[in-house]
Amino acid sequence: MVQILQALASLKLTLLGMVLLGIGAALSYGNPEHVSVWVLVAPLALLAINLAAAIITNPRINRQPGLLVFHVGLLGMVLLAGIGRLTHLDAHLEIAQGQAFSPELLMDVREGPWHAGALDKVAFTQGRFTVDYAPELRRGLTHSQVFMPQPDGSVLEVDVGDDRPLVLERYRFYTTHNKGFAPVLTWIPADGEAVSGRVHMPSYPLFEYKQDNHWTPPGTEEDIKFWLQLDTGMTLEDSWVLDGRNSRGVLVVTSGDQRVELKPGEETRLPHGRLRFDYLTTWMGYRVFYDPTIQWLFFVSVAGVFGLGQFFWKKLSLTAWTDDDSETANKRGSV
Amino acid sequence: MNIVAEQPWLWAGLLAYLVATLVAMWGLSPRLAGSESVQSRRHERVVLGAIALGVLLLTIAIAVRWVRIGHGPWLNLFELLMSQLWSLGLIYALLYWRLPGLRPSAAIVMLVMWILGSWVLLLEPADSHFPATYYNFWKWFHVGLGKIFLALMLAGVGLGGVMILRRTERGRQWFRAMPTDAAIDKLAWRLMMLALVFDSLMLITGAVWAQDAWGRYWAWDALETSAFFTWLLLAVGLHVRLSFKVPPWLSGVIIISIFALAFVTYFGTPYISPSAHKGMV
Ligand code: HEM
Repeated sequence: MVQILQALASLKLTLLGMVLLGIGAALSYGNPEHVSVWVLVAPLALLAINLAAAIITNPRINRQPGLLVFHVGLLGMVLLAGIGRLTHLDAHLEIAQGQAFSPELLMDVREGPWHAGALDKVAFTQGRFTVDYAPELRRGLTHSQVFMPQPDGSVLEVDVGDDRPLVLERYRFYTTHNKGFAPVLTWIPADGEAVSGRVHMPSYPLFEYKQDNHWTPPGTEEDIKFWLQLDTGMTLEDSWVLDGRNSRGVLVVTSGDQRVELKPGEETRLPHGRLRFDYLTTWMGYRVFYDPTIQWLFFVSVAGVFGLGQFFWKKLSLTAWTDDDSETANKRGSV
Repeated sequence: MNIVAEQPWLWAGLLAYLVATLVAMWGLSPRLAGSESVQSRRHERVVLGAIALGVLLLTIAIAVRWVRIGHGPWLNLFELLMSQLWSLGLIYALLYWRLPGLRPSAAIVMLVMWILGSWVLLLEPADSHFPATYYNFWKWFHVGLGKIFLALMLAGVGLGGVMILRRTERGRQWFRAMPTDAAIDKLAWRLMMLALVFDSLMLITGAVWAQDAWGRYWAWDALETSAFFTWLLLAVGLHVRLSFKVPPWLSGVIIISIFALAFVTYFGTPYISPSAHKGMV
């Protein structure tokens, strides 16, 4: 048993594992779809076994507290990163002003098999937002207003944006460059109940030239095309603030060969019903991130580095920085 | 040509570095071995003084630019080079002062510094845009720790260079005033271990910043991948020495390779790849 452990603890195996990890990292560059996570998992598993065996059997590690903390920290990080991947959730969210969050709104969801967060407990309502732009449309700060219901029945208003995510039930919502306008429409079918909804136009100002979308009323084959003519005050030369309150829009509605321009509050009659353009609102795109291990990863990694620092300090206090100890210095071994 | 306010200070700083470089090289010359200034190592004070003066002048250059464009030197290559010239000079001056054993290797270090020095002279001091994600205060730690890491690596390159050059008769002559290869090797790897501490901290604080800025702590973008290679190669280097008897010249080659990778990570990758890590939107 001890012999097996000692063989597994070989430092040559460590070097092999490190080379394999390097290859795995090279293959993982840019997170390509077709590369399996095993290119990282396999070398990390090899290194973890190797390291665990070394920690148990090699007194050069386990008798030197600082070095031990560092190597155990490495092991801990691999473990935590693994748990993180198994329990994580990554997704995108587009949510309009006045809309309440619900898990069904998440798009492009990628989650680990053990993901079990309390997403259904996440409750907030999107408010308005502003985005500052420097000349030449270089994006500055985003301020996105969200409202969170409190246990006592009140509503808490917070300002999030950029590096200040909204954190609820450990889900982190980050504003993105993806945001835009959404006409709120009411469809009154010839027979049946009226329905209201929003049509999200493409990201603004990225797709400023292409503010269109289309919709088919339920139970019909009519393809209604929308084109939003916006006046947002956007300029290339000066700084500018994207703000729904300072933006106006005229909605061009096309169905078959019929084309009308609607201002907010106006409606038009189409083959299968009436369509009203109620008002113009905005939507914000968030990146949603959940990983219960990130704080732990931080603490374990910092503790590990402090261990290495302590080991270094201890060595340093035993010998001078530049002692000319040629007898021992260049033997196999340590610094 | 339009000269902006910080340029004269930058040039003056580089001139001071030039003086340091030339005096450091002058001190190596075998023909001057007997000169009183070299014997008594007075020329080392000139080297230290000139680097310190260069750092002071570069501090002014950075401050003047900061006031002119309204933010620190975080973004474009001109700014990064200027800021690295400043921090490498500052930290190396401290090492030079505290560790007399490495002083003759300053000739190599300063020559390497000139890769940055001549590069910055070729660049336009163009204004840069300050992205929203740069308001984050973790950038101070990330960038600061990274600066210490690179400076320690640079000092290691000086020692590595000495161990390689000492394989020639001329090299032995130049670096006659330095301790034995074994002692240099030991000092060099101590710097490497300290570099590993700061490299690790740089990666940790960078991951925290990335989590804040882009909602993920690690995504194998170009810079992250390249920085991970550097960290891993440092680990490989340290462990190779534990498993094998590494001759000093090879030690030097390993150290210089790690530095080369770090150099590409700092000054190549962010500008070659269009990845988000550049901080632009
Ligand atoms: C994964 C498997 C690993 C194993 C089995 C392992 C094993 C060891 C052993 C046995 C020592 C000897 C200590 C001594 O003789 O003083 C050591 C030292 C060290 N290890 Fe590791 N290690 C591993 C990974 C790493 C990694 C990934 C890093 C860093 C990036 C690292 C950094 C160090 C450092 C800095 C030292 C001190 C070197 C010195 O004293 O010269 N190790 N390791």
